[in-house]
Amino acid sequence: MSSLSLSRFTPTACRLAARSSRRAAPILYRHPNSSPSFRHHTTHSTPTSANSSVDPNEVSHFNALASSWWDPHGPSRLLHLMNPLRHDFISRCRASTASSSPPIRYLDIGCGGGIFAESAARLPTTASVTAIDPTPEVLRVAEAHKRRDPALMAPNKLTYLNKSIEELPVPSSPAEGYDVVSVFEVLEHVSAPGPFLERVMQQVRPGGWLVLSTIARTWTSWMVTNVVAEDVLGIVPKGTHEWSKYVNEGELKEWFGRQKGWGGGVGEMRVMGVVYVPGLGWKEVPGGEGWGNYFFGVRRDEV
Amino acid sequence: MPPRIPVASRRLLSSRPLSFTIVELQRRSASSSATTPEVYDVVCVGGGPAGLSLLTSLRASPVTSALKVALVEGQDLYKSRLRSDAPLDSFSNRCSSLTPASVRNLQEIGAWNHVNHARVQAYQEMQVWDGVSDARISFDWDSARPLLSPRKPTQPTTIAYMIENVNTTTALLSRLSELGGVDIFSASRVESIELGADTEQLDLSSWPIVTLSNGRTLAARLLVGADGANSPVRTFAGIASRGFDYNRHGVVASLKLEGPGWGGPNHKIAYQRFLPTGPIAMLPLPGDMATLVWSTTPERAATLKSLAPNDFVAMVNAGFRLSPTELEYLHTLPSGQEEEIAWREKHTRVDERSVPMRVASVQQGTVASFPLRMRHADTYTGERVALVGDAAHTIHPLAGQGLNQGQGDAASLAQTISEAVKSGQDIGSTLALESYNSDRYAENNTMLGVCDKLHRLYSTEAWPVVGLRSVGLRAVDAMGPLKGFLMGRAAGGS
Repeated sequence: MSSLSLSRFTPTACRLAARSSRRAAPILYRHPNSSPSFRHHTTHSTPTSANSSVDPNEVSHFNALASSWWDPHGPSRLLHLMNPLRHDFISRCRASTASSSPPIRYLDIGCGGGIFAESAARLPTTASVTAIDPTPEVLRVAEAHKRRDPALMAPNKLTYLNKSIEELPVPSSPAEGYDVVSVFEVLEHVSAPGPFLERVMQQVRPGGWLVLSTIARTWTSWMVTNVVAEDVLGIVPKGTHEWSKYVNEGELKEWFGRQKGWGGGVGEMRVMGVVYVPGLGWKEVPGGEGWGNYFFGVRRDEV
Repeated sequence: MPPRIPVASRRLLSSRPLSFTIVELQRRSASSSATTPEVYDVVCVGGGPAGLSLLTSLRASPVTSALKVALVEGQDLYKSRLRSDAPLDSFSNRCSSLTPASVRNLQEIGAWNHVNHARVQAYQEMQVWDGVSDARISFDWDSARPLLSPRKPTQPTTIAYMIENVNTTTALLSRLSELGGVDIFSASRVESIELGADTEQLDLSSWPIVTLSNGRTLAARLLVGADGANSPVRTFAGIASRGFDYNRHGVVASLKLEGPGWGGPNHKIAYQRFLPTGPIAMLPLPGDMATLVWSTTPERAATLKSLAPNDFVAMVNAGFRLSPTELEYLHTLPSGQEEEIAWREKHTRVDERSVPMRVASVQQGTVASFPLRMRHADTYTGERVALVGDAAHTIHPLAGQGLNQGQGDAASLAQTISEAVKSGQDIGSTLALESYNSDRYAENNTMLGVCDKLHRLYSTEAWPVVGLRSVGLRAVDAMGPLKGFLMGRAAGGS
């Protein structure tokens, strides 16, 4: 079993507790984004339809959140506040190596209501953004919100697709892949991260970056996301997080270390730990990847 | 200040029940009209110092210079510019004391070079005293240094800079035309502001659509209200502004003194005397010129404005020299103040060097007055709306902070917009604007509160209050480091 298959790390009791409450929120929050797809076969994963790896429980959870997605004081507030850090992290990744020059083509997987996708599409260095999500209701929210900004309505600037990663065509040649593929606050909703990531990786062009953010699976994060954020403070909707699905940064590093053609050069695998401090907002915390929310970026080697 | 822009906003009328029907009808017909508005990232209503400073910041920064921006101003911006050959014995009666922080900001956006520097007067000392007890405090950087420590060469000597408002706006306009890229609708009134329509292609239902008197319609991603105390933009946004009238008027005038002042041309001094009716201030301008701001009751303001020039001049000199009781009597005379005051001054002992040099004459046509108000908007931001300057707050002029607050607002909003652009946020969203509100609201509120308290403190003649405030003033005067702190705040530093 790959180290990314989480079930063996998860004490059954914890898993059951997390599941029965279905509260999720990260300490930092996890995106109530959509969940990615990946079909898979971990022992405890919910059975899914034959051609999609999307967890139907996750889809219905995010359907319920859809209407408040763009309310700055609603349940997605922490995600909105986190968004500028995503751009910081991507810029840092791209600056660390000789990356392709702008304009940049983005693929955002699990785009939800479009918080990241819209912001990426507005940047002057962006050529286009393709954003996918398997949850129909949040995609409708994303489409409706896009119509509120003429800048996003320019042809091919921002394209939403109600698809899971399995349904997205694989580029006919690697060079036609995307410059930046983002998977924000999605991995923790995926029950089989390995096969999911393999699908995602096919979309990245050589020299491009795969960038993700998620939450470490630690006692701290369980306490903060499942208990404090959802139950005590109520700043994250109940049922957003399932702690057993969290992936640790070490597991990601090890897993990508074994993928041929990825993160081979110096500085081509990057990580940034972040923490939400009430009253101050999201702050970068060196070492935070060990116990809370973190960003992870890996570059596909040039051919 | 009087409203800068004579905008007849229909939304303003909506507080009167009778107008409601009309307003609603107009809204409906406007939103169903077929004209497509022109889409802008920033539409700034109001071409005063705050609005111009904001637009100049946005144009000067490479991060925000790609934004499409428009300026709407009811007056003709080009007619009201300061002429470069304006004579130095004639000054506008609308002057402000620019803090070093405001000047630094104007330098950063490249506008300070465009100022007519011959018409700017730096001052190095302030003399402030109590008109009832004569307790006095003097501010200058030399006496404000820590005890026993030598004066550092890097220590600033300038407290602030006196400048005509028209000089500031002319410099900003000149810098803006150098930068280019602003669609300027000058001498254009705002006819209406209403929300846009949800059509098949676009949903502009959260976008303010500004209709101008020339028939143009502008859709604003972010509508900035730099449109003065009666801000139509603030009314459109439904943001309440609370406060009160002081029942005082500020009488202003441009004056010529008998000389350049007691410190000579290189050490200029600002004077402020607190009288029970309000402070009287004399602020230095270049050469022998000075500007007056006399806060007083509306009745006394009316009297002062009605006087012949020689009697007005005598009253200003008396305002810094005679007792509050004598001044009260002098305001009851319909004329003849000059003679009356000459006789009284013979019997009053005044250390002439502790009060401003005598006024020799008043510049014709410069005696004017405006009502003093305290107002603070409930918030500076709304969906696709931000308020700056007098639209957000109106302050008592006793500390000369009004224009500086507007400059601080403009710099902060430009910074907020810049951060939002960098991370691809919609600059009109309430989320993107949050940091502007949190950055400026508390700071402005503190300044509004301090100036209001000072006004109240000095409005009384009750002896216990006079005694305490005089002790306080003398104590502060004796403590160099504390004075340094107060001066740092007044200079806009940290």
